[in-house]
Amino acid sequence: MFKKTVSPPVVFNIKTRMRRAGFIILLAPLVIFVRLFYMQTFLHEEFSSKAERAIYNYLAEDRLRGKILDVNGLTLAESVRTHSCGINKRYVKDKDKTVSFLADTLDMPKSQILEKWNKTGNFFFVAKKIKPDKYIKISEILRTPLGQGLELTPEYERIHPYNQSALDIIGAANSKNLGLSGVEQMFNRELSQDISKKRAKHARRGEIIYDRKLKEELSVGSVYLTIDSLIQYYAENALRKAVETVGAEHGVALVQEPKSGRILAAASYPVSDGQSLAFQFTYEPGSTFKTIAVASALDAGTARITDSIDMEGRKWEVAKGFVIQDKQHDKAFLSIPEIMQLSSNIGAGKIALELGPKNLFYYLKAFGFGSKTDINFNGESKGSVSLYTNWTKVDTVTKGYRYAEAVTHQQLIGADSAIANGGNMMQPHLNDRLEYADGKVEKRAKPVKIRRVLRPETTETMKKVLQSVVEAGSGKRAHITGYNVAGKTGTAEKLSKEGGYGKRSHVVSFCGFVPTTDPQFTILVILDNPAKYSFGGTAAAPVFKEIAEPLLSYKAVKPDQLDFE
Amino acid sequence: MPIFRIMFLLALLAFGVVWIRIEVNRSGRTIGQLQNEVEIKEARNQYLKLEILRLTSPETVSQQAREKFGFEPIKPHHVIVLEK
Repeated sequence: MFKKTVSPPVVFNIKTRMRRAGFIILLAPLVIFVRLFYMQTFLHEEFSSKAERAIYNYLAEDRLRGKILDVNGLTLAESVRTHSCGINKRYVKDKDKTVSFLADTLDMPKSQILEKWNKTGNFFFVAKKIKPDKYIKISEILRTPLGQGLELTPEYERIHPYNQSALDIIGAANSKNLGLSGVEQMFNRELSQDISKKRAKHARRGEIIYDRKLKEELSVGSVYLTIDSLIQYYAENALRKAVETVGAEHGVALVQEPKSGRILAAASYPVSDGQSLAFQFTYEPGSTFKTIAVASALDAGTARITDSIDMEGRKWEVAKGFVIQDKQHDKAFLSIPEIMQLSSNIGAGKIALELGPKNLFYYLKAFGFGSKTDINFNGESKGSVSLYTNWTKVDTVTKGYRYAEAVTHQQLIGADSAIANGGNMMQPHLNDRLEYADGKVEKRAKPVKIRRVLRPETTETMKKVLQSVVEAGSGKRAHITGYNVAGKTGTAEKLSKEGGYGKRSHVVSFCGFVPTTDPQFTILVILDNPAKYSFGGTAAAPVFKEIAEPLLSYKAVKPDQLDFE
Repeated sequence: MPIFRIMFLLALLAFGVVWIRIEVNRSGRTIGQLQNEVEIKEARNQYLKLEILRLTSPETVSQQAREKFGFEPIKPHHVIVLEK
């Protein structure tokens, strides 16, 4: 009656077996997958940064740097890509062959490379800033057994195609392409670029596999100076010859456009990059300063061109113990043009005294002495003008012919330019324009009138007076056939270390403009401490002529004299 | 059998990923080399331009004109300015 139920026997058929086997096989990848999912999702940051560090290398490229050009767009400084060649000793297969190859390619003695090899650890640089031609030769063998262990690292070199020309103004940039002095420093922001980084994979023997760029390269701007490289050459060439001839310690030659204030050339000799004597250093101008004192007195009306000044027997005791002597003439009275022609200290001192300390002080300030010119050259000096209330009678007198304090070369040429252009102090410019990466051009050297310092009538009178200095006075050697030249010589004794003025230590100078009827160029020449005793008229005035002559030809300035030859 | 198909497809996918990575690497290497070549040629070109600039500098030209041809700078009053 009872029926016994019998469960069917467990049969492990092939399908079930395979399913189970498949499940077991898939279990391991499933666990891995779950783990990977967890890592990818929850530990993503940690692992991705680890992987990034392990696989990739971030190549920080050197900063690109913009160009510095002259007013006509000729390159004065430019960065060029070069390479450094290094050796990873561990990977070098044949030391002797590799070293011989490098010695031949880099024009270096083999012993020099071997010395470095023996002295340094695993890695050392054989040569830096190697030029493209040499780089090509090395890069060609890089993947051959000979090139194993060699590494080439890119870097930039600042090139000055005109060698030392204008280097004192341009200044220097370091190996990281950062401006250190001069224009390089003044416009560092405009010339610089953010460091661009590239992501690359490590490969064998320092080989680089580029992956992607992290930062887009930012192009850089270019700085155009008001300097004309040809005029700069004329100035530098004439100055160098003069400095060497008279054995001077230093020399400065500045050329300015009186109507616009633009500096066309600023030469110093010897050249020291980023140290411009023209803007950063001061000196006592000597007799070239008589121009300022006489112009101020004529403008204020305390002196007239028809005046005759008593020379006090050529020996004037200004105060007890302070005597001025004029040894260069034997006249009892001198007119104002004669005072300038003969460079009479008594005459100029008396004119300054008549003008009075207060008036003279205000004229000096109006001419810009004792203040920076805003030319923005790094380290520009402002010179010094002490307050007139502290001046003694002697101070007032000496300021008429020597100026007992300090002026910069730029201040003096700026004041002479004001006489040349009809009485306006113009803002001097060294930077003509900035050209940004996007092509936008910002004009910087627009003529800016700072203030009027002299009446036009005064400047016309002064032009005639200064012209007479070149025609009949101490500045004869600045004469240029066909052109009326106006200017003033200066021979100033320098303060000695022992105190007082040293007889054998002096500065000779000439400051003038040409052509007088419509001045196009103001030129200042200074020779500091010539070994051979010389005068402004004999040493500096010929330099003025040597600079001005080719300049007039170059700019095709018409002669303003009708009858010459 | 779908499990085998899935595995096969996964394997194919993995192969594809690996192949793409290899191609990316190869391209990266080629780009690196080409970029380097371009930069060298640009640098060489730049050097040549600067060399031209150096050779045409006022100093070099004046020196050559003086030494080779015996030229002297003209006096400004000898220049005839033509009216525009």
